[in-house]
Amino acid sequence: MSGAADQAPVLEVDGLQAHFRTRYFGVNREVRAVDGVSFTVRRNEIYGLAGESSSGKTTLVKTIAGLLKPPLEMVGGSARFSFLPEWDAVGRAPPEVVRGIRWRHLSYIMQGSMNVLNPLRRIRYSFRDFAWRHLGGSKSEFDARAEAHLERVKLDPSVLDAYPHELSGGMRQRVTIALATICKPEFIIADEPTTALDVIVQKDVLAMLRSIQREMGSSVLFITHDMGVHAALTDRLGIMYAGRLVEDGETAEIFAQPLHPYTRHLIASLPRIGDTEQREGLEGTPPNLAEPPPGCRFHPRCPLAMPICATTVPAMVATMPGHRVACHAVNPGMAA
Amino acid sequence: MSALLELDRVSKNFSRGGLFSTQRVEAVKEVSFALQTDKPEIFTVIGESGSGKSTLARMVLGIHAPSSGSIRLAGRDVAAYERQAFMAEVQPIFQNPFEAFNPLKQLDRYLFMTAERFGGASGKAAAQGQADEALRQVGLSLAEIAGRFPHELSGGQLQRVAIARALVAKPRLIVADEPVSMVDASLRMSIVNLFGRLRNDLGLSIIYITHDLATAYYISDRLIIMRKGVVVEEGPARAVLSAPMHPYSRQLRDAVLTPDSAGAFRAGHSLKAVAEPGASS
Repeated sequence: MSGAADQAPVLEVDGLQAHFRTRYFGVNREVRAVDGVSFTVRRNEIYGLAGESSSGKTTLVKTIAGLLKPPLEMVGGSARFSFLPEWDAVGRAPPEVVRGIRWRHLSYIMQGSMNVLNPLRRIRYSFRDFAWRHLGGSKSEFDARAEAHLERVKLDPSVLDAYPHELSGGMRQRVTIALATICKPEFIIADEPTTALDVIVQKDVLAMLRSIQREMGSSVLFITHDMGVHAALTDRLGIMYAGRLVEDGETAEIFAQPLHPYTRHLIASLPRIGDTEQREGLEGTPPNLAEPPPGCRFHPRCPLAMPICATTVPAMVATMPGHRVACHAVNPGMAA
Repeated sequence: MSALLELDRVSKNFSRGGLFSTQRVEAVKEVSFALQTDKPEIFTVIGESGSGKSTLARMVLGIHAPSSGSIRLAGRDVAAYERQAFMAEVQPIFQNPFEAFNPLKQLDRYLFMTAERFGGASGKAAAQGQADEALRQVGLSLAEIAGRFPHELSGGQLQRVAIARALVAKPRLIVADEPVSMVDASLRMSIVNLFGRLRNDLGLSIIYITHDLATAYYISDRLIIMRKGVVVEEGPARAVLSAPMHPYSRQLRDAVLTPDSAGAFRAGHSLKAVAEPGASS
């Protein structure tokens, strides 16, 4: 993480808002799943996104990747990639432009990607479907390239002739990572790629993802709710709560010195082997995003809540260089 | 000292395939352990997917009959029990509370049904009383739950209702199959702590099935580690997890990522050193 080139942002997200809008029988319902999120991802780094289920992590990355299907709409803000400078979001670019950058510049490892492989097609054909048009060359050249790439993720070339059901969960996950990386994209989005795997397999897959990323110099946006994975893998980390980013900074610094009460709770509540100290859960429940609480969305559950928290949205402010937090208790008087 | 639950060399085989090419899969092989009546404890079964831990749970619940060996509850074979009498003693809690409850059915109906069938409640007032008592034990109340549908509650609340439903039957043993893996991180520890309170205050024994070594260390008294249907290591939870003896248990322990494994894959660290202990595949 040194040198000017590493500081160049590949993705700049600014005030991004994405809502689910439904209209049934004249009743309009709007779920503000992502509400004003700003962050940047630099070249050659793994940026982690943490947060519990329904905090808007997946909606955020779907919007960034331009995978917008009704009722999901991008309402405001921008998510600009350095390789697509003419458009302020992938979702706003015309389809033929998006087809050109997908897989080549931007790839997406989906949640539960063990199940995204077509069960009726051998792995070889899945590779051809995804990547041949981007890489070009003859069929045999392409197959040779796919075999070489599979070796990089420690898979035998014979996997190309297997059907997905013949492979174990860990092998399928390696195949999907191989698919997402064969075109050497600049930006990889990985949404809970190891959640369904056993701890031993998970560790291997993470180590492999890290080595591939380092080899290609690409940037990765890595989502998981597992704080242990973030601690081990990511360079920088953003914490989401109820559709907003509440804290972001260097991963090591966030673990050493969490500032937001929610982050502090998340880190303090993790049980560890060798430590018998009593750990408490957080009272209350995550808010309903159709009717989020006013002000700071964490205030009904927050141990440090003050009157201002119920009325004013706290601004995301850098308290130290590279460490931002949105909390009135940490940054008094900073309203958004 | 009498045994509440005794498993004696229990095995379960499944056969797979057609008439001509039948393959036998040994899901559980000769597992033995016992829980004592006068010593309530949280007994953890750890294993990866496919290790046979859920099959073991289903056999304890009487859903599957073992292929060989015997499972005895309070000295009687599980198969010899009347189903209703057995369910009054042993109750399940499942992994995903959103799937365990019918989305179109009000939650209090589950509690009343359980109270009438297994809790011995006669009449509506008695059922309501039992449901309210059970809900209070998990930090809820009937007033909060009455008439609510599953989608109106969060995963953590719903899992508490599932635990309350099991408590309504006043069982002696609860079998919880991955009860916290679908619960939000901020609520997970309150569910785990709840299990501890049920053991300490109500004297319930709990079979806690999980792949999460950290919560197993935190809450359980004894554990077994299973791999491919075989118990590879057993003993007091903290002693086993602090100093695992079997190579597989060690591999499992070393693969756990905690906040302390900071930067294991980050720049500057040698990848080899990390990949080595788990380099089995």
